[in-house]
Amino acid sequence: MKSLDTFKYQNRIDKLKTKKLNQTLEKIKYEGLLDEDDYGRIVPPKNHWESISNHEDGSFYGLEGWTTNFCDLMRHHSTYVDPNDAFAGRWMYFMSRMRSNKWNPDYPYDHLQPNIDKYDIICGIGDDAHFAPDYKMGLKLGWQGLLNKIETYEKINTSEEQASFYDAHKRAIKSIQQWISNHIETIHYLQEKETNPQLAKNLKEMAEVNQRILHHPPQTLREACQWIIWYHLASRTYNRDGAGGQIDTLLQPYYEKDLANGTIDRDKAIYYLACFLINDPIYWQLGGPDKNGNDQTSDISFLILEAADKINTSLNITIRVHDDMNEKLFEQGIYYLLKNKNAWPRFSGDKALVDGFMKNGFDAETARQRIAVGCNWMSLPGMEYTMNDLVKVNMAKVFQVAYNEMLSDQSAPNTTKNLWERFRKHLSSAVNTAADGIRHHLKYQKFNEPELILNLLSHGPIEKGRDVSDSGAQYYNLSIDGAGLAVVADSFAALQQRIEDEQKLSWEALDYHLSSNFEEQDGERIRLLMRNSYRYGQGNTIADKWAEEIRDLFSDLVRNQSDAAQQHLFIPGFFSWANTVGLGQTVGATPNGRKQHTPISHGANPNPGFVADAASLALATAIAKVQPGYGNTAPMQWELDPSLAKQEHAALIGSIIKTHFAQGGTLINVNILDKNKVLEAHQDPSKYPDLIVRITGFTAYFSMLTPKFRQLVVDRILEN
Amino acid sequence: MEGKITTIQRLSIHDGPGIRSTIFMKGCNLRCQWCHNPETFSMQPQLQWISEKCINCGKCVEVCNDSAFTINNGLVQFNRDKCTTCFDCVEHCYPNAIQQIGRTISADDLFNEIAPDFPYFNTSNGGVTFSGGEPMLQLNFLLKTLQLFKQANIHTAIETNFTADWSKYEAIIPYVDLFIGDLKIMDSKDHKRWTGLGNDIILKNIKKLDKTGIPYYIRTPIIPGVNHSAIQVESIIQFVSDLNNVERFELLPYHPLADVKYRNLGIKNPLQNTKGLTNKDLEIYNPILKQYNPG
Repeated sequence: MKSLDTFKYQNRIDKLKTKKLNQTLEKIKYEGLLDEDDYGRIVPPKNHWESISNHEDGSFYGLEGWTTNFCDLMRHHSTYVDPNDAFAGRWMYFMSRMRSNKWNPDYPYDHLQPNIDKYDIICGIGDDAHFAPDYKMGLKLGWQGLLNKIETYEKINTSEEQASFYDAHKRAIKSIQQWISNHIETIHYLQEKETNPQLAKNLKEMAEVNQRILHHPPQTLREACQWIIWYHLASRTYNRDGAGGQIDTLLQPYYEKDLANGTIDRDKAIYYLACFLINDPIYWQLGGPDKNGNDQTSDISFLILEAADKINTSLNITIRVHDDMNEKLFEQGIYYLLKNKNAWPRFSGDKALVDGFMKNGFDAETARQRIAVGCNWMSLPGMEYTMNDLVKVNMAKVFQVAYNEMLSDQSAPNTTKNLWERFRKHLSSAVNTAADGIRHHLKYQKFNEPELILNLLSHGPIEKGRDVSDSGAQYYNLSIDGAGLAVVADSFAALQQRIEDEQKLSWEALDYHLSSNFEEQDGERIRLLMRNSYRYGQGNTIADKWAEEIRDLFSDLVRNQSDAAQQHLFIPGFFSWANTVGLGQTVGATPNGRKQHTPISHGANPNPGFVADAASLALATAIAKVQPGYGNTAPMQWELDPSLAKQEHAALIGSIIKTHFAQGGTLINVNILDKNKVLEAHQDPSKYPDLIVRITGFTAYFSMLTPKFRQLVVDRILEN
Repeated sequence: MEGKITTIQRLSIHDGPGIRSTIFMKGCNLRCQWCHNPETFSMQPQLQWISEKCINCGKCVEVCNDSAFTINNGLVQFNRDKCTTCFDCVEHCYPNAIQQIGRTISADDLFNEIAPDFPYFNTSNGGVTFSGGEPMLQLNFLLKTLQLFKQANIHTAIETNFTADWSKYEAIIPYVDLFIGDLKIMDSKDHKRWTGLGNDIILKNIKKLDKTGIPYYIRTPIIPGVNHSAIQVESIIQFVSDLNNVERFELLPYHPLADVKYRNLGIKNPLQNTKGLTNKDLEIYNPILKQYNPG
């Protein structure tokens, strides 16, 4: 491995990193705190562009509304060129958030609202993206090729609605091309002014790259990276789409061609890749099997990791772990994870993901192509519409509804058996509402927010002349996640253990303490009794059994929503994204000793502090065991103890990762945080502006998080 | 067949190769004054009071028949001299501020409790390690448990102070993959002063073990004021370098982290004010290690 001081482009990379840090500080200054991904987005010019309404409520909807706005924004969009960068362009606008209303009021879902409120469902109606484009198609066709494809199919699909559909997509592509042209002008302008001959040369080449890919498919590594960046920036701008792809195999042919032509060396490749990665922390997968099961790792897989190390900022790279993987890539990934302690890379488990997805009726070839390209999610690039990570059922809230119903019903005894039956009934109702929400979304989303940009790189929408949300996609593999698993499992276990088995207190006594949030006489003592009951994650306890019961129930309920006639396949997962705080705010005190309005448990993770020490193995075993098992994830959020997170223990950490996946695990997100540093940063975020934490599937600058969310991260680390 | 243990430490990474579960056996015949596991001295269960966890609810005061707990100005106080270790208070202490240290467990239950971690042992070449305390004090239980793990093809290690009769070691050797032992002080009188026993039998047993060809580690804890000197360390290293089958020799820096355990158990910590050492502090012994190359 080359040392930093011999890397020819280190000076440029250093300048780009400094600039990114300043851009983050600027974002905090002008836009405030945000509990989200860093995204690589920068602050747009003030009052530079405003959306154009096409509805009386002031928002914009439908194909025409979105196309008009997107094209207008592209036309007026500022250019972004940095002479130190290999690529032009940065993401500035959250177009989908620049409207007063997310859902077209002409398609109301009032009939679903009572249950959405009752069970605190994040219904996903009107949410966008969260499936993956097929970058391979874009790189093959280029912008002109995509235009040609549209022109081919508009001759076949000739209805009025389809004519509008095709016209909108052509307008979108042309506006992107105009945007690129504007950048070319800026590059030329900066090139003329540039006094440093090396940077002037870089700008000249940047202009040439952009000129070539303005119409034609990319031919070189630099062109391929720049093409992906443009598509991605357009898609980000349109609706925050952050899906990536199998980046090593996407770029490999271009890199090898450059090598064969003698136009690239190792340093230059790393420089391009570093600039590519700093542009946006997109979810890229490295390694893993191809559709025939052969490992896809190549030289560029390693170069991508090395480039990531050079920039070492917020990154969302996932290494796919499988039986025949390239061990060196795996080891290199762990090396960088431990070296930088910056929460990258992540690891995904091929076996459970592929086996699970095949249980839905897909063959192994297809299942292997469903790769890690999103926060917690897998997707078949260009082939499926999924609503991944958009729909969540707050199971802790469902539990509370069931519990309150039982306690207020004098006709039946208070027992965990009775409570379970009520929980089953209400969870069924909640899942049904969530699925109905998805069905409503699928029916009307094209009138609300068509996927103008993602349609371009999907297999089907252009061919059929239909939006990807409107039967345009090949597959509808629809995701519903359960949230708060550990709160519910631990609550059932605490009730069983303390009230039924040990008879330490009565249902009525506990209800008194829950109603008073454990704040009345003896409240804290009872809270600790309940909190110190058996807990999910300890292994082979009643709480672990409850967790499995809940998993089975939730999985069955979600899968039962599938409808072969409609080609709707519903897939269960356990994930709560950054919603643990918000979902917790609607839930009162719970029998597991959790106080009212505090965050619910995260994804499939046990509640913090579930074992006294050595949580890593217990965590890895428990989460592997509780996977729904149909190809969507229940990620393991791993707060790795810094005393273990040393290079000398890399092999042991690798063993834990591999064993988790061998036992059924799907995805591992790792944080390695120094407790004292996090506590200091919590007090004064400006002290560590570059401290990065992996919140869930995504990473964020700690300094950008709201105090409440920073507290959540601190609690998680302290209690583990 | 039941044994007495304090705890099972999962993901143990300092007690043999790979990921291990270390079983801390209760009871020890030495009283090393720097011991960081004072809860393993006695074979009997002990009461631990963690004042930081106490919420001063006063329930222990209500249930204690010995009046060992009192409450003054809203604060619970514990008088260990009055405690008869009936442990009635433990189940009433919901915050877990009062805990019983030490439990009996059958060989089968111990095996089953550790079994979920076997997959991690297999991928990391790890296994189980019996530590303590002194595992050899519970020979029958140890033997039975070792046999269970060996039948399951699990790597086994034992940390011993080498003070048991050699015949006992011979009994377990067929079921042990790795021995780990401390060699603390070479001078027998000094050894007796700091641990309560001389080291003659220890040295003899190490030599006997060496002849068996079984791999073993020798570790020397370096304790300020006890053996933290070139003369002491060199004499140990010299002894070790004459052995043939030492797989690893390590110097371990003293750490004072056990002080809180002594306090919670009401045991006087003889080295209460002794400062800890770091690996860097031990680098002064590198020339000696280099000269003798003891494993």
